[in-house]
Amino acid sequence: MTNNGYRLIHTVEDLRYYLIQGMKIEHATIPPYLTALYSLKPGTNLEAFHIIRAVVVEEMLHLTLAANVFNAVGGDINGVLTDPEFIPEYPAHLPTGSVDFKVNIEKFSPNTVETFLNIERSKEVDKDAPLVLPRPELNPWLRILGLEETYTFYSIGLFYAEVIRGLQELHQEMGDDLFCGDPNKQITPEYYYDGAGEIVPVYDFQSAIRALRVIQEQGEGSRQQTIYDAERELCHYYRFQQLELGQYYSIDKNNPLNSDSPDHPTGKTFIVDWDAVYPVKTNAKLSDYPEGSELYDAAKEFQQQYYAFLGMIQASFNGSPQALIPAVGGMFKLKESAERLIRNPIPDMEGVNAAPIYRWNKEQK
Amino acid sequence: MDIDTPDLMEYFLNFSAAVTGFSRFDLLGTGQASLYFSTIEGIIGGEIFRELLQTFHELYVRANSENDASILTEGITDEILMSGKLGPIASNIIKLWYSATWYQLPDPWREKFGARQNDTSFVVSPYAYPEGLLWQAIGVNPPGAKAPGYASWQYPPSVRLTSPKN
Repeated sequence: MTNNGYRLIHTVEDLRYYLIQGMKIEHATIPPYLTALYSLKPGTNLEAFHIIRAVVVEEMLHLTLAANVFNAVGGDINGVLTDPEFIPEYPAHLPTGSVDFKVNIEKFSPNTVETFLNIERSKEVDKDAPLVLPRPELNPWLRILGLEETYTFYSIGLFYAEVIRGLQELHQEMGDDLFCGDPNKQITPEYYYDGAGEIVPVYDFQSAIRALRVIQEQGEGSRQQTIYDAERELCHYYRFQQLELGQYYSIDKNNPLNSDSPDHPTGKTFIVDWDAVYPVKTNAKLSDYPEGSELYDAAKEFQQQYYAFLGMIQASFNGSPQALIPAVGGMFKLKESAERLIRNPIPDMEGVNAAPIYRWNKEQK
Repeated sequence: MDIDTPDLMEYFLNFSAAVTGFSRFDLLGTGQASLYFSTIEGIIGGEIFRELLQTFHELYVRANSENDASILTEGITDEILMSGKLGPIASNIIKLWYSATWYQLPDPWREKFGARQNDTSFVVSPYAYPEGLLWQAIGVNPPGAKAPGYASWQYPPSVRLTSPKN
């Protein structure tokens, strides 16, 4: 193997660890995207609404795809999504290890879009080059299985490139024994409403690679110098960039090479109304709300429901795929609860509105 | 006279909470409060809207200072709902919150107090419709909006006959 020297994934354990990180990365984008989405005042900024909404729905697909790969290689998903640390404490670095930007839970704004662009950024790395940024020589005796600061993937795409490399090499070493997971734990299309690209059940090497490539490409495109993914849909980075530029990209689906080039959209222009947004408190905590207020109770209820929701998703990934359908139904109720919070001013705080709280606090009863 | 002051918005929210049975949190949660406020003002005019809100606010202040809720409930009935002038507007505000629809004021009111140019029946906005309190009150999603999810039709309705808090 040409890249053996750079390899980070040596064992199935390593691979499973990386896939857990992958699920954390996918999920970590959801609270910030949803909060910005629901901060838009009803009936305004329809372009932003549709753009963010479409991306967040694909992140949910990515979480499911990562879980499918994890289950296929025999991972035990029980306790993964319900781990209180599954949701980072915002402001947070992405679990890719990138430390040059932090992600907040905040209202829709030019800064927020900038962060979203950072989340979805991409970089091409040669086939035989390392995928992490240059890092100090590691003492192999000190190498612990964990996401150290020295492992900083520039982008989510590079993180998955590492996973794909690891998967390829482990498959060469172990053959199909790598895919020792229970096939009944796969989420198949009959349980996943096909609105955000294809759900790929993973049973073997080919399907595992296919699932991981969907995640990679929906985020950052199929290759450098193009704006679209393998399904000829605009990738996330350029979808968000439209909000910065106030203009849509145009993709020629019949001949994608005729599509706009990066940074130069030619589609319809639109005006983003940065003021038609609720002034949501950044990285709100339960303690920001007066105890005993209706707001406090509603925020606490949301937090509990979100935790329960993750538990239902986890159960559906753990051999009860039919549980995914009511879980998704519950998600729509969460949306309404989140919107209610965001539209309410925090008592005694001038001009600041509430926000949903996603992270479960261990100390809380 | 500037009707668009924060105080009147406060009065409006308190009044709406008193007559709809929903809390201020629920009302603000619909995201429609300012739209409804400006809609009502635009139809009936600032003067009469202010009279309604001032009447309510005086009752509200008195009920609070004397710590007697009946001042408010009886006052709303006697001085607002029974009033030939304010009653039909108050009813319209209740209907507006519940159905996102402004209903044309009744003919006797229009004859007595003057027909307003914009006083026709209409749905205030496409985004207000799914936020009508009616849907929350009966525990179903508004038809055609707030879909409860793919294949959720296979589950029994989520209608509750009692409040979840009881």
